[in-house]
Amino acid sequence: MKADVLVIGGGIQGCATAYHLARRGTSVILLEKDYTGRHASGVNAGGVRLLGRDVAEVPLSKASMEMWQTLDEELDADTGFRRNSVINIAVDEGDMATLRAREGKMQAAGYTHERIIDRAELLDRLPHVNPDCVGGATSDLDGYAIPYKATSAFRLAAERHGAQVVDGEELITLRRVGQSWLVQGARQRYEANSVVNCAGAWADRVAMMIGDNVPLSHAAPMLMITARMPHFARPVVGAVSRQLSFKQFENGTVLIGGGAKGFADRSNNRTRLDYAKLANAARITAEFFPIMARASINRMWAGLEAYMPDNLPVIGAAENADRAFHAFGFSAHGFQMGPVTGQIMADLVLGEQNRFDLTPFRINRYDRKVL
Amino acid sequence: MQAFDCAIVGAGPAGMSAAIELANAGARVAVLDRGQKPGGQIYRSVSESPLPDANVLGPDYTAGAELLTAFSRADITHFAGADAWHLGDDGRILFSHLGETCELHCREMLVCPGAMERPMPIPGWTLPGVMTAGAAQVMLKSDAMVSDGAVFAGSGPLLYLIVAQYLRLGVPVAALVDTTPRQNYLNAALMLPRALRRTELLKKGLTLLAEIKRSGIPVYRFAEGLKVLGEENATGLQFTTKGQTHEIAADTVFLHQGVQPNLNMTRAMDLEHRWNLKQLCWQVVTDPFGQTSVPHVSAAGDGAGIFGADGALITGRLAALNILHRLGRLTLAERDRQAAPDLAQITAMAPFRAFIDRLYRPTDALRLPQELSTLVCRCEEQTLADLRAGFDRGARDPNALKSLTRCGMGPCQGRQCGHMVAGLLSEWRDERPETIGYYRLRSPQRLLTLKELSRYQAASAPAQTEAAQ
Ligand SMILES: Cc1cc2nc3c(=O)[nH]c(=O)nc-3n(C[C@H](O)[C@H](O)[C@H](O)COP(=O)(O)OP(=O)(O)OC[C@H]3O[C@@H](n4cnc5c(N)ncnc54)[C@H](O)[C@@H]3O)c2cc1C
Repeated sequence: MKADVLVIGGGIQGCATAYHLARRGTSVILLEKDYTGRHASGVNAGGVRLLGRDVAEVPLSKASMEMWQTLDEELDADTGFRRNSVINIAVDEGDMATLRAREGKMQAAGYTHERIIDRAELLDRLPHVNPDCVGGATSDLDGYAIPYKATSAFRLAAERHGAQVVDGEELITLRRVGQSWLVQGARQRYEANSVVNCAGAWADRVAMMIGDNVPLSHAAPMLMITARMPHFARPVVGAVSRQLSFKQFENGTVLIGGGAKGFADRSNNRTRLDYAKLANAARITAEFFPIMARASINRMWAGLEAYMPDNLPVIGAAENADRAFHAFGFSAHGFQMGPVTGQIMADLVLGEQNRFDLTPFRINRYDRKVL
Repeated sequence: MQAFDCAIVGAGPAGMSAAIELANAGARVAVLDRGQKPGGQIYRSVSESPLPDANVLGPDYTAGAELLTAFSRADITHFAGADAWHLGDDGRILFSHLGETCELHCREMLVCPGAMERPMPIPGWTLPGVMTAGAAQVMLKSDAMVSDGAVFAGSGPLLYLIVAQYLRLGVPVAALVDTTPRQNYLNAALMLPRALRRTELLKKGLTLLAEIKRSGIPVYRFAEGLKVLGEENATGLQFTTKGQTHEIAADTVFLHQGVQPNLNMTRAMDLEHRWNLKQLCWQVVTDPFGQTSVPHVSAAGDGAGIFGADGALITGRLAALNILHRLGRLTLAERDRQAAPDLAQITAMAPFRAFIDRLYRPTDALRLPQELSTLVCRCEEQTLADLRAGFDRGARDPNALKSLTRCGMGPCQGRQCGHMVAGLLSEWRDERPETIGYYRLRSPQRLLTLKELSRYQAASAPAQTEAAQ
């Protein structure tokens, strides 16, 4: 099979990239070794959050956030996006000081989307929060979406524009011969002018085939979800200095995260859970929201996610090969970035003007010339 | 934390017989079961039946008393009311006991999760008033509760047994609507000669049927096109037989079409499974001694493949012998010598089992939902139409379909819909169930309160805190 562009990985980055390319009339093939949305993009916490982002990431994240607001219309699908805001809770004055320092930094950079709230507003917006909390920060554009639905919405939209998505096809080898990339899949061969590496927790392997080494690691952040319970929290909840993170969906279920990691076994597509850490997440949740002590946990799981040492993604052209591009290493907050990443990758591949400064995301930022 | 040579999950006939064997050979054995009393489904409350005369339940039931006696005499650590919610292939078991999560370690693990009834997704199967024949048994055995004037519909020995038990107690039964297709009798007949070597089992079945016939209750055979009537509650059952449509009024409809292994434990442990073509269900892959794809994890009883209570006793014992060998307490030769009679017994029972499986094999029309409005996932209220729409939007894998439609995400963790979804996808994709696969399952295996989890400390944690202080 032949196409202009071959995208490797059917997560949200790969599907959004395929969508933006196909929409602009480029022929695209996407290879996914399992099924689209099988990994991080389909099983993550669904947080669509601009609040608290690394300043380097804010321009992209902000643009993405604007895209989320109208994504359902654009993709003609239900991504489950709800703009319910996110609140990071401050437990004490130390947390408030952290928030004020951040506010100063953000304002100096010209950003105004984050806003500090006082205790009264916190209690008003989260009536069930432990009344010892003193305030927080919020971003009102933020919210959540349903990960698998959003990823599959990009895939279906890409297909409507002519992209070919091949599930169950693993990239085995990749070679640059003349002006083409020759690609050996587990089932078939492909040929393309450009390749885009969106291989998530496996992206360092694909990068290596392209010729780029990268200090990527992978881990298995864990989540748990409760059975339905009465509505008590509309905003997505986080905390300034604690591993607290949850959101209540419209059906009443509550998804609890917090960043605790299980054990990742990427060669076998498997993860194991660390129950002591999950118990800790349960403790923190009940401490901040006593109403949650009554919750019943229904399921627990973990997803395989790719991390860079600075927790910023790699987005940009390959260093050691022509017509190869990378988008990976989103370090547990890349779901929100999907829409804009797809657009940027399409711009890069098509050689069009790109409106963002991508230097913080270049693949060779960890290269050292001397030992 | 307590450590054992072997921990057994499930105190039905398989778990009990294995525990007795292991304990009598001197191994340190723990048995965990959600129930307060051992016995499992079949011998539920056998030691203290609430019925004035437990003999109405039949000789198979009362036979359980012997096993219970042996179990109570053996040196076994029995955790009653212990609901295991995580079985790790590292030998760690987490279980809820009196509202706390407790933990134990074992060198060998034996899972005996038993069977569950195969759902019968006919239109209206989720209406209040519709229950399974198994539920009728549970109510009878543990609470001496019965439903007057119920309709019993479906096929299989358990269905006839509960009808007979009702009749012996003098409870009025509206009708028995038997769905065993004519073709099944013809196909099974071919297997009869070999099955006949087990005349006592066959006689037992025939006696039940004769007993039901003698009672004079209406019995309809070869029923098709079943549908539970009623809007809010079940008001009756409609079906067709011999070209005629019947409607039988009843507030309670008991459905049954055989049992299938309870998969959640073995699936959540990621053990290898295979599709059983004869019984049309998934089952964990084991060797003749119940050893699974993870060598220190074994499975026995109906949870490892439907074989009935007698079979469960035997497979439990066989698993125990192999575990004793693995623990270094029996040589291979000794294991094989002791296992020989049981292995022979299994071989002898196989033709009869094959006959029963063929005779009562459910039809696709009853195994898979047929009407678009029929619910497949009760927990998340997903209909056949919802699933088909998800499939048409590209969700061709059970897990993708689950992610898209929420089918299987509810508190039952796919126990009810798992086989149906696999069956539907197999039909829609025109591929074998093995290719389709099953839900990826995880612990906890049932709802766990956040409060209980929040109190859980890993077993080594207290030691660390002490050191830190
Ligand atoms: C538990 C958890 C919670 C999270 N919560 C949030 C959150 O709330 N908000 C947020 O913004 N982000 C969150 N994230 C992060 C977010 O999910 C990821 O950053 C994002 O989904 C990454 O998308 P991706 O497309 O790069 O990776 P993936 O979704 O992992 O996709 C990569 C795909 O590449 C395929 N692939 C790999 N190698 C090959 C090959 N050789 N051939 C073919 N295919 C291949 C893989 O099978 C995989 O499907 C969370 C992540 C996890 C794990």
